[in-house]
Parts: sequence; structure tokens; C-alpha cells
Amino acid sequence: MTQAVIDKNRPSPEWIAELRRRFPCETEIDRVLSRKLERRAGPPYAPVTLAQLEAGTQALLKTRLATPFTVRDCRWLSGGASKLQMAFTLDWTPPGGAPTTTPLVLRMEPSEAITETSRLREFQIIKALEGVVPVPPTYWIDAYGEHLPYPAIVYGFANGVTKPTASSSGVSGVGTFMPPEIRETLGQQFVDHLAATHRFDWQRADLSAYDRPAPGTQALEWALNHWERVWEEDAHQDVPLMRLTMAWLRRHMPPVDRISVVHGDYRLGNFLYTEADLKISAWLDWELAYLGDRHEDLSWCAKRPFGHLAEDGKTFLIGGFLSMADFVARYEKASGLKVDPLRMRYYDIFNNYKAVAIVLATGYRAPRNGKTHQDVLVAWITGIAYSLLEELRTQMAEVL
Amino acid sequence: MELRPSFQIPALIKSLTDVVLPAVDPANKLAQEQGQLIVGMLHLMAQRLPLQYRYDCVELDSYLKLAAQLAPQAARIPEAGAALAALTAAADDGRSVLAGAGVEPPALEAANQRLRAAVGALVTAAAATADDAALRAVNTAVMDHAQAQLLRERAWVALQGWEGPASGLPAVETLLVR
Repeated sequence: MTQAVIDKNRPSPEWIAELRRRFPCETEIDRVLSRKLERRAGPPYAPVTLAQLEAGTQALLKTRLATPFTVRDCRWLSGGASKLQMAFTLDWTPPGGAPTTTPLVLRMEPSEAITETSRLREFQIIKALEGVVPVPPTYWIDAYGEHLPYPAIVYGFANGVTKPTASSSGVSGVGTFMPPEIRETLGQQFVDHLAATHRFDWQRADLSAYDRPAPGTQALEWALNHWERVWEEDAHQDVPLMRLTMAWLRRHMPPVDRISVVHGDYRLGNFLYTEADLKISAWLDWELAYLGDRHEDLSWCAKRPFGHLAEDGKTFLIGGFLSMADFVARYEKASGLKVDPLRMRYYDIFNNYKAVAIVLATGYRAPRNGKTHQDVLVAWITGIAYSLLEELRTQMAEVL
Repeated sequence: MELRPSFQIPALIKSLTDVVLPAVDPANKLAQEQGQLIVGMLHLMAQRLPLQYRYDCVELDSYLKLAAQLAPQAARIPEAGAALAALTAAADDGRSVLAGAGVEPPALEAANQRLRAAVGALVTAAAATADDAALRAVNTAVMDHAQAQLLRERAWVALQGWEGPASGLPAVETLLVR
């Protein structure tokens, strides 16, 4: 182990090759992680103007549309710590249709993001789930940044809010309070959509950017390799607790009973709902989706930062909606799938490892090299790693 | 601990330069000017921070030399008797502090990083053993260390509010004791 002498800010081809060999993961994930390292020694993220994004969007659409169109009303969208988003309006004529006006969103990567992911995978999974759960309609993709400064997708603008208009919250939806009068309606949809995602028949979908795992532990092995590779690639200071945790995770891999689409970041803050009728209008941020064990989503959405206590001051409400017992009962009824407490505990530990890899390793490395459009926000988020590590420590103390 | 000024300041500069300052009203000259000054001051801080400790040591050393030169001269001036006594005491204190000033912060940080990596590698290597007792001992040591380490790290970032106002975390100053 020679971590201390490796210059992670200028990765050598030999080191990249070694990481690829040590941590085999899905083909497309390997591609984006390798690309990240190959580009790392290059320039930092350069600010992109709305005019540049508008021009890039027009260039992309010229290759996709045979009839005249107009891109107008471009404006920035905030939200999220990972990607740049521009809302715009498109006057166009869909193939075989009549002239129309469509509100759209361009979602583009920065040079390096706090989560380095594939636009192609994100595009495919959202398209696959259209009609299964509320998702924005997908339109076009610039998978390799041929027209825009970086890879990007274009999808429909979904109306709604991520939290009650009157509510306050921290970065990325953490700490949002859901008032009692909206919990039942939104909470049931929160469960139903998760159940529908996990029951979705992905075998028939066009998910060519996803490797199809064999039954057993292959999906989990790929996921462990993915996140340990991210840790190795990006961490500045080693954390022995992370080493100990990964060794435990590898020793105790539970076989999956059913391979599901896993959202990867299913939680409060990652869906929009319309306040007038309390309908979830769109599930967002599918970039971490993969084919694996549903318990990752189940334990992730139940994490403390993504919920709050009920009025009794004792009962934790998942997503600010439901107690754990209520959540599990409703999920099992809606999905017909069991919630296994042992796998919940395993994936709770897995999720903390993954979260720490994201916020402490990549959350350090990307702004360290000036690679994002919001370095100050990503650097700020790094601070949450120590609470996550403390939770991980208490979890490990229970299982060792 | 990753949240240190050498990591934070460049992120502040980039945010101010790329996002915040271009959005400041060009007609608000006061805000424009102070925004530029903030960026300039942060650049100065980022550049000088790694040298701060060395600078202070050099400065102390130079004042000790000056005090050594002044003392015999002051001894010939009766009016400076009390001042000389104070100078002598301050110089004694300064020599003691300078003698205790060891390596510079970047070397300390680098040593920490090397040791962290070495411990991490050992933990990974130990996980392959069939000797359960040895593995348990390694795990216990790592877990005990993590508890104290994480308390310091959580206290360091407590102001960010991740654990809420009732976190009960001690002031970090109380934890920085060897």
C-alpha cells in the first residue's frame, strides 16, 4: 500500500490501471471513473454562462431535430450538490406531431462532481421508468459532451417543490420538516413509488449501460468495488475505520433474493410534489441507480438526516412521513417483497461507507482541484462526514 | 481532519470569483470594491498560511537576537533597569518557546497522512487473517481510536450544525490535549 506517495491530483496511467484491476465494477461505471482520473490533471472547471449552455443546447438539438426550433427563456436552476441545471423553453415540432412549446431542463456535469456518474445510465433509467413512477420525460442526451462543455441530458421540466414552501432546510434537503397534514398523502406515495421501482421488470428495459448481475452476490461485489475504488481514487487522508468497515462488508455479503432497480439516493429532497393536490410529480437524481438489492434504498431513505421526529419527540419519521414500523408494513404490502432486518442492517452500514466515500473522499478531491461549479458548497458538505463516521463506528461496534 | 484553511480558502475564492462577484450589481461600487478586496485578502491568506508558523519562528529568533544585543547596552543605563528586567524575562520565555518549536505544520500534516495510510493498509491486510483473536485485537484498537478521533473531528465542525444545537459535543479546545 503506497497511498502516501501517490499523487492523486496527477494520476499516472499505471495507477489508474491498477485501480481498474483491483476493483472491477460495471463497464460504464469503470468508464466514467477512469475518465475522471484521466482528466484530473487538466484544467479546473471553468464557469459556463447561460449563453454558452444555450448555444450548446442548440447545437445538440440541431443534430436531433429535422424541423426548425427555438430555445428561449434560459435560466439557472438551483438544488443538488452534483450537477448544473438550466431550465429553458423549447418551441418545436415533435416528429409526426404539431408545433408545440415544451418547458425543459438541461442537466450537465461539471468537470468533476461529488458523485461521478454516467449521463447515459441516468438517461436510460429515467426513460425505462416512465409510466412506472413519476419521472420527468426524457428527450435527448449528449453522452460524451460532443455539443455541450460536458456530458448532459435534456428532460422535461416538472412542476413542484422539494419541501413545503414555508419550510426551511439545510443543504440538499437535509433537515426538512414535513407538517402533519401532508404526511399521510405524500408518505403513501413515497412508499408506493419505492415499491414500484423495486418491482419494475428491468429485464425487458433498454438498460444497455447497466451490466446485468448474476444472482447471488455479484451486484453487491460490483457495488463494493465501485465505492472502495472511489475511496481509493479520491481520499486525501486515510481513515482506518473505513478500511475495517470495507473488510467487514466483504466478509458478510448477503446474497440478493431479487435483483431490483435501486434508485441509489431515494429520499426526501429528491422528489418534487405539487402543493395544491399533494401529488409527487417527479422522482429526480437517478444518477446512482443500479441493479441490486432493494434494501439499499430502504435503509438509505430511513437515515436520520432525511427525516425528523414526530410531535411526541420520540418517534423518528422516515422522510418526515412514517415511523419505521408503518413504513415497513406499507412497503411490504405495496411491493409484496419482504424487508429483511439483517439486510437492512448490512445496507445501513454499506450506505454509511458509500456516503463517507462521497462526502469525505470526492467531497475533498473535487473542490481541491477546483473541478466543480460550486466548490464552496461541496467543501461545506465535507463536514457531515464526521457525523456519518460516528454513526458508522457505532454500527460497527454492534456487529464486530 | 480535512476541513482546514488550505482546503477551504481556494473554494471560497472560486465561489466568489466565478459565481458571487459577477452577480453583484455593477452600480454598487462599494460592494464591487469590497468584493474584490475579499478575494485579494483570501489570496493573500492562502499564499501566506503555509508560511505563518515559520514566519513567527523567524521573527521570534530575530527579536531574541535583538534582545541579546540590547541587554549589555541597557545594563549601562540605570533608567532602563526595570525595562531590562522585563526584557530579560521575556527573552528567557521566548528562548524556551523557540526551543520547543519543532517541525512545521505541513511536515506534521504529512506525517499524519503517512501514518494514517500505513494504519489503513495494516487493517486491510489483517482482515485476511484466520487468527480471530488477533483480528479482534486489531479491530478493538481501531475502534477505540476512532471514538476519540471522531469526537475531535465532530467537535471541530460543530459550528456547521450537522448534529443540531443539542449535540452535546464538547468544545474542541478541551479535546486538544495530548
